[in-house]
Amino acid sequence: MSESAEMLERRIDRLRAAVREAVVAGDREGARALRSELKSAEHAWEEALARVEGSAPEAVQPGTGERPGRVTPPGPLIPLREQVHQALSLLTVPAAPRLIVTVHEAFFAESFPVARLTSLRRDEERSFRSAPFARPYYICAALAADLLAPARGLLAISTWPMEKRVIGPLSPRVHFLTAAIRVAESIERIPGPDADVRRLLWRFAANIPGATGSAAAMDPRAVAEAAQAELQVHEAADLDVRRAAAQRGRRQLDDAGQLFGSRLQVRQPGGRAARGSGTAS
Amino acid sequence: MNGTEARLARIRGGAVPRSHNARTIAALASNPGCTRRAVLDAAGADKQRLAAYAGFPAPFGQSRFALTRGNAFEAQVKADGAAELLRLLREHLRLPIPEASYDDLSEVGGNASLELRHARTRSLLARTARSASDAADVAAGSDAASPANDACTASGASPAGGDSPAADIGTMFDHPLLRLEVGGRHAYLEPDLIAFQVCGQFHVIEIKSFAVIDGRADGDKVAAAAIQSAVYVLALRDALAELGVPPAAVADETILVCPENFANRPVAVSLDVRRQLTVLRRQLSRLDRIDDLLDLLPADLTFDLGPDDQGVPRRAPADLAAAIRQIEARYAPECLGTCEMCFFCREEARGCTAAFGREARDDLGGVEQVATVLRLARATPGAGQGPGPDSDPGGDLAEAAELLRTAARLRTESLGQRPESLGAAV
Amino acid sequence: MSTLTSLARAIAAERGAAQPACAVRHLHISERPLVFIPLALAGEANAPLAAMVGDSPRAAHMLTVAEPRDRDQRFAFAAQLAAIVLRYIESYFGSEETAGTREPRIRYADAPQLLVPNPAGVAFTRLLGRSTRFRRTAGPYAVAETVPVLGRWLTFLTERAEHPASSLMLAVTDALALHWATGQSPVEDLNLGALLGWIDPPPGRTGAQAAARAEDPVRCPPAGPATDPTFDNEVLEARLLAIRTARATGGGPPMQRATAALTSALATQLEPTWTLMWRAVDLLRGLPAGNHVAARWDHDKDAFTWHANHLRDGGPPQPRRDGAVSAARRLAGLEQVQAEYAAQRAFDDPLVMAEHRMTGEAFAGTVTAAEPGRVDGSGRRRVLRPASPSRPPTWCSPGRVCPSPRPRARIRRRASSP
Repeated sequence: MSESAEMLERRIDRLRAAVREAVVAGDREGARALRSELKSAEHAWEEALARVEGSAPEAVQPGTGERPGRVTPPGPLIPLREQVHQALSLLTVPAAPRLIVTVHEAFFAESFPVARLTSLRRDEERSFRSAPFARPYYICAALAADLLAPARGLLAISTWPMEKRVIGPLSPRVHFLTAAIRVAESIERIPGPDADVRRLLWRFAANIPGATGSAAAMDPRAVAEAAQAELQVHEAADLDVRRAAAQRGRRQLDDAGQLFGSRLQVRQPGGRAARGSGTAS
Repeated sequence: MNGTEARLARIRGGAVPRSHNARTIAALASNPGCTRRAVLDAAGADKQRLAAYAGFPAPFGQSRFALTRGNAFEAQVKADGAAELLRLLREHLRLPIPEASYDDLSEVGGNASLELRHARTRSLLARTARSASDAADVAAGSDAASPANDACTASGASPAGGDSPAADIGTMFDHPLLRLEVGGRHAYLEPDLIAFQVCGQFHVIEIKSFAVIDGRADGDKVAAAAIQSAVYVLALRDALAELGVPPAAVADETILVCPENFANRPVAVSLDVRRQLTVLRRQLSRLDRIDDLLDLLPADLTFDLGPDDQGVPRRAPADLAAAIRQIEARYAPECLGTCEMCFFCREEARGCTAAFGREARDDLGGVEQVATVLRLARATPGAGQGPGPDSDPGGDLAEAAELLRTAARLRTESLGQRPESLGAAV
Repeated sequence: MSTLTSLARAIAAERGAAQPACAVRHLHISERPLVFIPLALAGEANAPLAAMVGDSPRAAHMLTVAEPRDRDQRFAFAAQLAAIVLRYIESYFGSEETAGTREPRIRYADAPQLLVPNPAGVAFTRLLGRSTRFRRTAGPYAVAETVPVLGRWLTFLTERAEHPASSLMLAVTDALALHWATGQSPVEDLNLGALLGWIDPPPGRTGAQAAARAEDPVRCPPAGPATDPTFDNEVLEARLLAIRTARATGGGPPMQRATAALTSALATQLEPTWTLMWRAVDLLRGLPAGNHVAARWDHDKDAFTWHANHLRDGGPPQPRRDGAVSAARRLAGLEQVQAEYAAQRAFDDPLVMAEHRMTGEAFAGTVTAAEPGRVDGSGRRRVLRPASPSRPPTWCSPGRVCPSPRPRARIRRRASSP
């Protein structure tokens, strides 16, 4: 019942053309159906080829592109949440996953894919809710000052005071400058910074006035000083906003809400305004 | 649902409505006489699906490579509190250091509903405009509102610290949501970013991933970015007008952010869109109110492609095609790059000189039908003109007839001087 | 565009096939042109994906880039392309000729000719030249030595492509559209398959039908450099991912299979265009050459010789931007060349001349008398101004100066006598 590889190839070509035509025709369901048919045909083709070659076919895990049975490099020595904790502790300010990964790569010589961080906050929240404060720290959200909702794409550490975990309009800039100072200080402690580290520093230096003339001439001390100079311009105003927001947060939100934020829900006609803490369904 | 909405929903049928964006508005404005497009877009119909089902699929897709690159570049420019963008704005607009606020309008309290985001955008813009003029008043020390410029040259920087208005004056508004009235209905629009400068204006920022090489970029792409950003300028001016802020508060120059040369480092370029603004305003006002257009159509008109239980649409393609033809179109070759119905309408336009392009039709004396062109070209002067759609003894066509006859004569003469193997006479 | 060409479009639409817009060929077509069909990865500034290049229909070389975003692979592609292109160009260094009567000079007896499908292909080649001609061949980020040389040649050729009278580099859609009027719009003429469908429709099909078939990107892949988005999304993405995965798992047979799969997929997007290009070359060769074509090609040979010597003498690469003075000079030069070129085509080709007669820029009249020795003493110096009273059409107004069939001569219409 198995088709020969050549017949499969022809069928695959036909299916591919059919998928493309369905896409052009705006027929999304048809395209989807054809794509899955194409996938099984491709799979069958790989099997047929493997039989000819006399080796086991390499099954592809859908969605990851990884093949089981390959030699995976030894896993990280510490769990993901600890790696994130390390990077954030170095930065001392909330940060986006991409920056966290880059910092960890540069200073702790271990990389992990950014995609693994997308579910981390949700997992941490679930863990907290099932057993509040059971762990010494949680990777949590940074909250937008106005409505105390979780800011998109930012991670923070639960042990930081609330003032450090809220975001006002000037906070992104303040955090960028603070992170620059911390990174520069950390680089100074390294005897021979490598290309990754210098690239990380350039990411800050290039966007801070007076920090450096060129990528080649970067000096961590100068970068830190330039960052500090601009930081002084924004600090006071930013702190005012964050203090006020933190006070409100402590007053209005429960423990989980203070860590993971509260989501705005639209008032239903005839019902209560639903403004709870925690994630919306 | 009011009457217009109901009518448009019936026209659309069961499909999920597609919304306008700056690109479709720009395309619509470039061809305001096309009722077909105006109605289909207002109804939010899936033009690609309709054209394909009627037998004229048009390839209008976007490569995922281009999308990914575009998203990645935008993310890079906006990362870390829009650090790279801030550098560009400081260089390009001489934005003062203290002005570095960043407000993310992609969600409101975690909720991404369009109405909420639009309301919040308006409220932030209002607060900014108000605080900026208050700050100008304070710095100038006068009661009457003075131009922000004077205040700025006097004080050199916006007042900082404490509970001064500076805390409320935003600088960068990310993913703002604006509205524009198109054909009597509102369309939501989302510019990449809006920047505000206290001693200056609001600027619309467009982030695109095509490269600027040695100071030059692909002309067509720049033109498209210019007109899209002009749409956003109009929408922003409308939003501010509702708050009593004059249109001069929004700059006539939009800012295009692109990768420079062959690397990823962004560069900012100013686009003067005054001409595009004039054209857009004029074309948008010409777009007949959708109600008037709908009044001309049969009440039961629908493009519904409701499927039977096999998943196949119930109505026949020819039936759909007939329905589409009930709405008048105005085809031009420009449609080929901007509208999914292009092949359908092109087929309809066969035999019209419009299909050759506007220049060619003008070259042919403005005569609309190809058959008429050829008839006039081949006629001997003074021969009686028979009945027909373009029949016009004397009058407008006389000039065109003379032009075409001369052209035909010259062509025959010139072809006659060539070896016979190469072709026949006109 | 003019009334005559538009009329020809109308006739083409009626007849279902393209009509001649010119009586003769105004471009030189080499006996051995180099056809170059590049494909680029969408979304990037200038990321080559693949190319097909060769100087005869059966001599197609195909190049692919397995990781188009990888800088090293990009320059490896450039090096491979350089090997082919430079070998082709250098093949013209073999024979020379003498030119010029007053000051004889040596130049190459023939010159290369680069053909790309369309203006977007010229733009891609220009950018490729720009991205390669300044590269260093030593130190960090070094590239192969042939790469900057390729860059300079490509830049030279794309500059000549902008030169109205030059045939060293041509966009084939432009070349075809110059000589034939189709029954569609100029925008649609940019599609090589559609254009050829009108000019040379298969038996039993009208030009419109053939063109419509060519517009289906699944059946007829676009001529590039842009690839069809559905090809990108449904085929290319998977092939590139397979290569990346194979590399991550250590190469070997999976890598070979993945590379072969990518190459064969890209071949399906290149081979049809290759066939179309050589068909276009045949069609153009089928037209008789205009009288001035050879003289213009001589200028091309001079330019080619000059650039080859410039490179050999170690001259600098073309600058990134024109200075103001050189830009002004270049523009003025181009305008003059444009005017000369237009006049030459008119004198070579009655159909082109007819267009000028329609607009009154040219006239044909009957000479009624001749005064070859007439001298004009009205100005500061006495000058020889032969007069040929003639009966021209009424639209040629007194005082008008027109080009003349003889080189470097002009005709001025004086006041008419009744």
